[in-house]
Amino acid sequence: MRVLHLLKHLCVGGVLVTGAVVNGIGDGDIGGGSGDDFGVTVTKAELNEASRLASQATFGLTYESIEEIAKTGRNRWFEQQLEISPTFHTPIARDLITRQDAGEWEEFDDNPFLLRNVIGRFAWWQQTMTAEDVVRQRVAYALSQFFVVSDRVGVLRNNPYSMTSFYDVLLDNAFGNFRDLLKDVTLSPAMGLYLSHANNSKAIPERNIFPDQNFAREVMQLFSIGLYELNLDGSVKLDSDGLPIPTYDNNDIQEMAKVFTGLTYAGPGNYWGRNYFHHADESVFSLPMIMYENYHEEGEKKLLNGVVVPAGQSGMQDIEAAIDNLFYHPNVGPFFCKHLIQRLVTSNPSPAYIERVARAFNGESGSPRGDMKTVLKAILFDPEAELLGNTATFGRLKEPAVRIVALARIFNYTSDSGEYYNTGYRLEYMTGQHPLSAPSVFNFYQPNYSPIGEISANQMVAPEFQITNATTVIGVTNQVGLAIFYENLAFHTWNPPFETPRINLIDYEELAADPEALVDRLDIVLTQGKLSRPTRDIVMDVLDRVDSRRERAMLAIYLILISSDYSIED
Amino acid sequence: MFSRRRFLTHSCGLGVAAATASTTALTLGLTRSVSASTADGYKALVCILLAGGNDSYNMLLPYDQDQYDEYTKIRSDLALEHDSLLPLSNQSEDGRSYALHPGFDEVRQIYEARDLAFIANVGTLLEPTDADAIRAGSARVPIGLGSHSDQIAQWQSVISYNRTSSYGWGGRMADLIDPNPASGLSMNISLSGTNLFQTGSHVSPYTIYYQGDGANTVWSFPQFWSNGINVHNVVRDLLGVDHDNMLRREYARRLQGAMDNRDTVVNTLRSSPEFETSFSDNYFSAALKQIARVIGGRHTLGQNRQTFFLQFGGWDHHEGVLDYQALMLPIVSKGLDEFRSALQELGEFGNVTTFTISDFARTLTSNGKGSDHGWGGHHMVMGGDVRGGELYGTYPELSQSSPLDIGRGVYVPTMAVEPYFAELALWFGVERGNLDEVLPAIRKFYSPSSSDAPVGFLV
Repeated sequence: MRVLHLLKHLCVGGVLVTGAVVNGIGDGDIGGGSGDDFGVTVTKAELNEASRLASQATFGLTYESIEEIAKTGRNRWFEQQLEISPTFHTPIARDLITRQDAGEWEEFDDNPFLLRNVIGRFAWWQQTMTAEDVVRQRVAYALSQFFVVSDRVGVLRNNPYSMTSFYDVLLDNAFGNFRDLLKDVTLSPAMGLYLSHANNSKAIPERNIFPDQNFAREVMQLFSIGLYELNLDGSVKLDSDGLPIPTYDNNDIQEMAKVFTGLTYAGPGNYWGRNYFHHADESVFSLPMIMYENYHEEGEKKLLNGVVVPAGQSGMQDIEAAIDNLFYHPNVGPFFCKHLIQRLVTSNPSPAYIERVARAFNGESGSPRGDMKTVLKAILFDPEAELLGNTATFGRLKEPAVRIVALARIFNYTSDSGEYYNTGYRLEYMTGQHPLSAPSVFNFYQPNYSPIGEISANQMVAPEFQITNATTVIGVTNQVGLAIFYENLAFHTWNPPFETPRINLIDYEELAADPEALVDRLDIVLTQGKLSRPTRDIVMDVLDRVDSRRERAMLAIYLILISSDYSIED
Repeated sequence: MFSRRRFLTHSCGLGVAAATASTTALTLGLTRSVSASTADGYKALVCILLAGGNDSYNMLLPYDQDQYDEYTKIRSDLALEHDSLLPLSNQSEDGRSYALHPGFDEVRQIYEARDLAFIANVGTLLEPTDADAIRAGSARVPIGLGSHSDQIAQWQSVISYNRTSSYGWGGRMADLIDPNPASGLSMNISLSGTNLFQTGSHVSPYTIYYQGDGANTVWSFPQFWSNGINVHNVVRDLLGVDHDNMLRREYARRLQGAMDNRDTVVNTLRSSPEFETSFSDNYFSAALKQIARVIGGRHTLGQNRQTFFLQFGGWDHHEGVLDYQALMLPIVSKGLDEFRSALQELGEFGNVTTFTISDFARTLTSNGKGSDHGWGGHHMVMGGDVRGGELYGTYPELSQSSPLDIGRGVYVPTMAVEPYFAELALWFGVERGNLDEVLPAIRKFYSPSSSDAPVGFLV
């Protein structure tokens, strides 16, 4: 069986998993027994590698789904994921808004914004919990921490279509091309509002008014090339004096700002300067912004690296030229790829790892420059991302939002109505984090944050620790406790009229007849075989003192989820 | 040996010393630099970060007609109406009159009571300079001017020539003065999470919550007590596990530190007297109340020096600057007034100096909707030891041909952040001989051996 399985891997994905299989010898198979679609039994090592991929590339999968990955083969399963069409978030918002406007819920008659303000979040949770394109949803979330908009801006929260259509742009392009992604983000009305290049007018010198520089600056600093010229391996290039070389200066920002003038919101009845949206139509916040040539700066613009956009082009031609200017900048590969590696795999990728992925971004393996599928495969199937290549400095702290989604998915949170709506208020209150709700365009944490102590002493970074302080580290631990012991408190919704999903531990309660088997299973699903011996002993000791299977299951799950073993994916 | 030990003491990333090692930290603190001045009575610095870049040229602005006319010419659709302004009674040294934003009523009263001063046009600098020198390329300027991340960092690190500084001047002060954490709690307390200002090589901020009693702990989930299982204690057992992986160790240390210090925080806040002052119902006022409670209960901590950090964000008004400032500046004004009143109840107002920082001020010119990123900006200092009712520094003469204007009404600072902070650091008890350690570039702007104060706004 093992030989067959190995061959399948070799044929399908071209990526060797020999190590995993070798590692599995002697561990004994535990996947057998149940009806098995492929006639293949999988080793524990294969299950662990499958669980690893699930943990890096998705929001978390049940044991059954992990088993399916192992049986299908990681590469083939991943290829299948790449072919699933996107599950967009806007339809959920549309459904809820339509029903609210039709008067379906009298609970909100007195305060319609109680519901309206959380519809964007309801859509995020509904689809994140249920969509079949599990990799695409997870990648879109990683992208939302690179291209940042935040529902902390009231207008964006009041108008759910703004957030859902922005997220749909990320979903739509997650397996597409980075250039399209950058362009679609640029024209996204949510981004236009967030970084104020919507209604950005050309200069009116007699009134001392000049183009808004907000988006021009951040599209360079954060969304494409970063502050300094980079080598392909992500390290900073130095000039002859040993100093970093800035990628742009203040003049470049002024020139770039001229490009991003003349854009405003689209939709019926659009007009220049439209800017007050108490309750905007869907079109305003879901169609790409449109160009008003009269408000677009006409003259030539000097872009980066000597590129000059001639005077007299249309506004959209200028924007295409600027997007190209950024997209073909050599920094994009290492800059963007390092971000994705940090979000999905490890805080401190080796330079060689970054370089391998950056080369994939640059099209060196034959796919077009900026091809997202190629980049994602390069990240997730790199030897450094897999279980064997790890060192004592490898890994990343799982962010609170991902931890809570993961436990809800892994432990079968279900609702009879099929509703997975969540205001996110409890999560946010306890952990300081909610998806699409960063404090600023700089995201929840900086990519180079280095906690004082042995991490900084070793010149390492650990971005997620920036939001892990005395308040939030307790908060996330207790939020996990609520979600497990109180069965439905991973979610907070307006109930009634909506239903709160509940945890479903039937499988784990059965396993809990044998505490060893229970912990073995959790070790695969949660810690990929890396639950440390002392942690395991502490958990086992607790389980020995409890007779109820349900309580055993809950305690084991809780204790592993809050342990360092699980909190860090290493 | 000592330094290794000391390093371990603080490596928990919480600014919390483990019980076994805190004695060492204390000893080191005494041998190193606790001076006569720091052995004095209690002092605290409260740093308020108006994150995003407060448009302070609409917070403090010229009132004389000629300069006001220039102001309206330059600010165009962003100008405030003259008759809406709150004039300050005192003329500044330049003989001019200034006024405040209409939402700053309480601040004006505190200023008139001489408990608050303004510092004009402060910003990050590498050396004193002007617009001509910058245009000619002969001036060295901070890296990342106009970039939020850089300027927010530089206002806290006071290092404007690289992007690698991971310590702030409040952290460096704590390194010097030493937290002497008999209680196990850092002298640097944050209401707003991790920040650069309070991070030193041996100290990082301890975060408390802006509501409730400031801290929580891991719950024990009583449903398991009948089995003799206290979940809280099991978690403690888990945190005792040794890990090979560095990130796993760091995570365990953070959770452990938070659990260890929870009671200390709660006891401190609960031992504060109740205030007669009523605080407004918003994050800013609630956080200031929490700071006042820590100060009110500080005897349980046994620390005679503390810093507090409070971030109030949302000032990046590329759009709607007039509307948003009209909402947000009154929150600042009322909050400061409430904080002052509570500190006066405690009798601590003279021991606490509160000051503002912000990424930058904003372009004086408009982008048609709001203002963009600028450079030098105006700031406030409040406290019983403040020589209030005065405007310090040089308010630039507003003009479309100002020698300070590097374009779009972005004014080169007329005071570096170094002397602004040096004044605060000296008041706090940093010795002149240690100023270089706290503010590495201070000598570009002020001689630590000078007999004059760096700025003069503190007693």
